[in-house]
Amino acid sequence: MAVDNVDKREARQTLAPAIGAQPGSVAHPREAGGGDIALEIKDLTIDFVSVDGSVRILNGVSLMAKKGEVVGIVGESGSGKTTLGLAILGLLDSPPTNIVSGSVTFEGRDLLKLKPAEMEKIHGTGINMVFQEPLDSLNPVYTVETQIGEALKVQRKRQDPPVTQEAEGETKRLITDLLRNLCIDKPEEVLERYPHELSGGMRQRVAISISIVEKPRLMISDEPTTGLDAYVQSRILGMFSAQRKAGETLLYITHDLTIASQICDRIYIMYAGRVMEAGVTRGVLQEPLHPYTSTLVASVPQGYEDAPPLSVQLGEPPDLRNLPSGCKFNPRCPYVKDVCKETEPKLEEIFAGRHAACWRVDKELGRFS
Amino acid sequence: MGDLVEIENLTVAFRSKRREGLFRSGPSLKALDEVSLTIGENETFGLTGETGSGKSTLAKVLVGLYRPTSGTVKLLGREIDYKKRKDITFLRQNVGIVFQDPVRSLNPSLTVKEVITEALIAAKSIPKKDYDERINFITKLVGVTKDLLPRRPRELSGGQRQRISLARALVVPKKLLVLDEPTSALDVSIQAQVLNTLKRLKSELSMSYLFITHDINVIKYVSHRLGVLFYGRLVEVGDTRTVDIEPKHPYTQSLISHVLTLKKVGLQETVVSEHRPAPSGCRYRIVCPAAFEKCAAVPRWIDLGGGHLVSCFLYDHSSQKETHPPLQTVAAKGGGLQVPPREPS
Repeated sequence: MAVDNVDKREARQTLAPAIGAQPGSVAHPREAGGGDIALEIKDLTIDFVSVDGSVRILNGVSLMAKKGEVVGIVGESGSGKTTLGLAILGLLDSPPTNIVSGSVTFEGRDLLKLKPAEMEKIHGTGINMVFQEPLDSLNPVYTVETQIGEALKVQRKRQDPPVTQEAEGETKRLITDLLRNLCIDKPEEVLERYPHELSGGMRQRVAISISIVEKPRLMISDEPTTGLDAYVQSRILGMFSAQRKAGETLLYITHDLTIASQICDRIYIMYAGRVMEAGVTRGVLQEPLHPYTSTLVASVPQGYEDAPPLSVQLGEPPDLRNLPSGCKFNPRCPYVKDVCKETEPKLEEIFAGRHAACWRVDKELGRFS
Repeated sequence: MGDLVEIENLTVAFRSKRREGLFRSGPSLKALDEVSLTIGENETFGLTGETGSGKSTLAKVLVGLYRPTSGTVKLLGREIDYKKRKDITFLRQNVGIVFQDPVRSLNPSLTVKEVITEALIAAKSIPKKDYDERINFITKLVGVTKDLLPRRPRELSGGQRQRISLARALVVPKKLLVLDEPTSALDVSIQAQVLNTLKRLKSELSMSYLFITHDINVIKYVSHRLGVLFYGRLVEVGDTRTVDIEPKHPYTQSLISHVLTLKKVGLQETVVSEHRPAPSGCRYRIVCPAAFEKCAAVPRWIDLGGGHLVSCFLYDHSSQKETHPPLQTVAAKGGGLQVPPREPS
């Protein structure tokens, strides 16, 4: 029983017990390719083509994630966050979507140029994604055990060397341990159930455990806690923080700044398919350069009933079919100038590690002016 | 008296679909269990709790969509008899509601104007010639521009839809507006706009709100008083500031400590165990770090002064005997009077 060699306490801390780890075998080729950078997206532009014409849903998005980093992608609906996640995994159907330009480099390979069969080998153990609605991503006709077990099987097969033998009942025990570590009561009973029999929070944790069990080198999670209450959210964030400790790269897609401030090392603020501001989380949220980031920060309710109104401008999320000229945020921006309505600003480095796309940000002074 | 709404010992039980025999129905589930609260004039009462804690059930009782199994609801001093049509009409004339889902709560085949007019027709008390004037007045107030009136809900954004729900609820003046998670389906910047509008409306139309949400940041920002529900039972009620700064019930303490704010930078290390309600006694006792023998009984309400009420034996000193554990023991178990610093498991 190889697994018994693993220190129980350590396994608990990393939440994902060293599944199938055998003495002498490398659990995962973590160091393979790519150097320090896990994922690099350059100038990614994607159109959505329909009978009514084509709509640009991503426009020149560049993004980079280092190994072991938690990178947040923050934006409101229609900002292109989910599209970005799907594009990385190659899950966008074409048509209707059309990748106009750009590259997605993962471990030294451009994912956009890979054949479907090659991409399939990366899915799961290379990159995987947790979707917002777990009921849609779980298979309704299989039990929790079957679904987690399937992921585990894939992970074992792809190990170097592949694990083909397993001890009697080992899979079940591993899955039970995993669920127990995710604070699921009576995991033995949960294993027998079908997705529709579980609560939203439980389902989401099952979906996440499917991801965890595969030990991906890059995990993308798309709003995994939206609509769940504070406790369940806290539990799920706790899991992600443990994942991070295990050295996994995480791309965390959310619209909630409070969550981003908790778990992300760096964040990218997106609006209308563009990156508006990027930098170290604390810096971006405490001293935002872009007026859109300021709007988002000001939208978080602060204080009590007698507090002043939240300082946000009126305005709706952008309609991608009908974007304004110049800066796409200009109709909602309180600091709009003439130039903002004419030419679109480029995302530029304002100071080390901070990028912003705004005409009102002075590069020399390194601040909003 | 002065209170607009007085709810006393309200219990709402749902019968389980599963039957135990041909003539015996299955066990009933109490969505609300002996809940008592009051909402004053011009007050915003915030109600929070986890999914399944009974928040929405209470909202639906207040507009007459559910009947209470037992207990009384008084509106403007009049006790509502849910079997009398007259009383239900009285309830609906004075209480408006805005639901969470702005897509499903608006009739897709009606235009915005028709949606709002329906509410006027249903009220019966308003002469037809005043309809336009009223619609103009209310749409301006909630921030819906005139060009939206001939459109249908699917052509509108979530924020606009929620404003229309608001207009529909308020086109006939109401005494109380029940807001059941009105902003949780909206984007953050839109949520902020709607919250601003709600606050402004309240002062302009002078009414009370029952604001229901699981988002503590939002509820703190809007409500004067706060009630915390745990699996159908109210565990703590008090002034929002007091409850937020000095939560007394172990559940409230834990809840408040898990609220994420922008200022709290750094990872949340704690992983909380699953919440299972106890079948009897204090519902929180299974997970409560400070639980002791007494908790097997239902705790009574303890008045801590200033309208701060808590339903917990830790503060019940009336029969302080050997059954009450010394406070040190409680602290050692991770509970106590302050927000317990939870150890990472």
